[in-house]
Amino acid sequence: MFINKKTLITAMAVCTTNVTLAASWDDTLTQIQSEYIVPNYEHFTASAQTLAQAADTLCQQPSDDQLAQTKEAFLENVEDWQRLQWLNFGPVTYFMRYYAYEYWPDKKGITQRQLRSLRSDPKMMQANKFWSSASIAVRGMTAIESMLYHSDFDVMARSSDCEVLEAISRHHATTSADILSQWQSSDATDWIFPEEGSKVTAEHMVVEQLVQQWLEHMSVVKDAKLETPIGYNDRSNLKLAEFYRSEQSLDAIITNLKAYRQLYHVGSPSLYDTAMAQQPERATALEAALANSLKIALQMPDDYFTGDYSQADRVALAKPLVTAISTSQTRLTELVTAMGFQIGFNSRDGD
Amino acid sequence: MLLSRRAFLASSLAMLSIPTWASAIPIAAQGDLFFSAFSKSATEHFLGAFGSNGHMLWSMALPDRAHAPVVHPTHAVVGVVARRPGFYMDFFNPLDGVLLKRIKPSAEHHFYGHALFTQDGKRLVTQENHYPSGAGKIVIRAWPDGQILHTFSSGGIGPHESVLLTKDTLVIANGGLKTHPDNDREILNLESMAPNATYLSLIDGQVLQQVAHDPSLHQLSVRHLDVNASGTVALGFQYQGPLWDDVPLVALSSQTSAQFEYLSLPEPVRARFKQYCGSVCFDQSGKTLAISTPRGGLVAYWDVPSRAFLGVDNCRDVCGLTATENEGEFVMTSGTGKQLISQPRQSDISLIYQHSEVQWDNHLRRISVTV
Repeated sequence: MFINKKTLITAMAVCTTNVTLAASWDDTLTQIQSEYIVPNYEHFTASAQTLAQAADTLCQQPSDDQLAQTKEAFLENVEDWQRLQWLNFGPVTYFMRYYAYEYWPDKKGITQRQLRSLRSDPKMMQANKFWSSASIAVRGMTAIESMLYHSDFDVMARSSDCEVLEAISRHHATTSADILSQWQSSDATDWIFPEEGSKVTAEHMVVEQLVQQWLEHMSVVKDAKLETPIGYNDRSNLKLAEFYRSEQSLDAIITNLKAYRQLYHVGSPSLYDTAMAQQPERATALEAALANSLKIALQMPDDYFTGDYSQADRVALAKPLVTAISTSQTRLTELVTAMGFQIGFNSRDGD
Repeated sequence: MLLSRRAFLASSLAMLSIPTWASAIPIAAQGDLFFSAFSKSATEHFLGAFGSNGHMLWSMALPDRAHAPVVHPTHAVVGVVARRPGFYMDFFNPLDGVLLKRIKPSAEHHFYGHALFTQDGKRLVTQENHYPSGAGKIVIRAWPDGQILHTFSSGGIGPHESVLLTKDTLVIANGGLKTHPDNDREILNLESMAPNATYLSLIDGQVLQQVAHDPSLHQLSVRHLDVNASGTVALGFQYQGPLWDDVPLVALSSQTSAQFEYLSLPEPVRARFKQYCGSVCFDQSGKTLAISTPRGGLVAYWDVPSRAFLGVDNCRDVCGLTATENEGEFVMTSGTGKQLISQPRQSDISLIYQHSEVQWDNHLRRISVTV
């Protein structure tokens, strides 16, 4: 077989490109972990610890000022969480910790029911094995929000209520510190399940799973955070909005959309850089779609979920954002598929 | 069996010139044939046939995405049923892919993606949705002319798959989900759904046994099933409630018991299922059970006699499962184009082949063409 010079150069270029791309995912993934996941878990853990300390102080010396500080710490912790919420991957998936962070939507009011039971004997929460068998409904931010904002509970007037708040906040901080520690002491590739006959690298598989998480989270933002509570296609029930008691529903969406852009650009080469090298038009289209979603969300009225709007008003206001998030999802799907990622065929089937 | 010339000519089988498996298979082609629907893109859908080496023998374009193949027990026919809401079933010559016949549902009905032939091959059984009412139907057609002979109630809503327990008894997975083709992924009865497994007489449509969950698990859709030679039925569920609920996902059933026997599995593995079972498959001996979960990216195995959990094989987007002739051995396919062969009791799994640009769809069927 004869190979001319042009063919040989072309073949070498293809090989070189493949090597470069494989290396790019190594670097990109390393930096997603070191510059996005770990720092954001550090912030989240720090604010969870601040919240736990504030709750301790509140229970020892109840005051309006300390209650306000505790609520402020809670809001900061929720905001930190919204930067990580898309990432249902790795350490957080063990022991149901992802779902324990936020038991939402709680359509049956299970969190309140269980909290009322706990406050009848808060000492039970100090038992060694309590948290290993405790319901996920009372292990995270949904429960803390109820203790601070639900009218059934009064952490200022009832010490048993405050004891419950204190115990949950401490557990929440410990859980977050554990997950942070696991991220700090492992590689992202440690958290996937290798499969037989794989022709892609472990790094490629992790990035693929991160992209899948990102795509799924876009659906959560559009459907569960926006459409369902406002009654986009059905009856409205604003109590189904995320963190509606603490009035964080819109802020949460905005933080999520900011996080998407941060994720797209973190590291060097970032996902965006690699996408621009391989699929410049699609990379730019995604960038524009993400920016547009955020811009529209920032233009929503601050009291969108809490103000005196009719269902029709809310739906009309939401339409551009719903469309923009759907567009982002489509652009991301088109981009990553063109870049050789499998985003799921049977796994997205539902039959 | 001797047929008179008149009877033979009147036979639809003769008119379609469909040979029996034994007479159709050239010696050179002996071995296993596998069939699965696959897609190349959102608009390109096919039925494919491949051999033991994984190489595609033929593929035929389909009008829409399909779900599960169906194999005729005596004659050289393989079909594929359109995905819910399905409006066609296409039947092919399994050796060359020539289209033999298309069957469509009657007015105001659609298929659910699965079908089967009776043991004698003279009747075709489908699960259908009468979508104005949402009533689940078992429709029995004469094969091959497709004339409807009987329409029975499935005993529930959303009959997704059924299998033959005996020649006259059908076991139906009534998923419980009421849907309408106008918006086919929307569940219309989430709060009232009541899935069950129904044992139905194919002679008169009488319900012989019906098994349901405790009402607290009414959102646990009974979706796929298989039966082994001893009459044990295995069922895979899909939970429509929250991802965090701790619900059973796999069960065994028999006609003599009014309750499901839920199979246990380690919690970390159960959580990985993401409340979703894809395919259910016994091995050739009926002693090993395999359940795939594309959302979890794994196939899980149980020892049926002891009910013991055996372990998992990891494979992204895996769903198609079929038993080989060998005890304890399965072939599986994935949405990433992979074909794998596994002997879970030996922890031995290997890649047969991987097709680029092929997304194998939910279900896989195998025929042995050794004569």
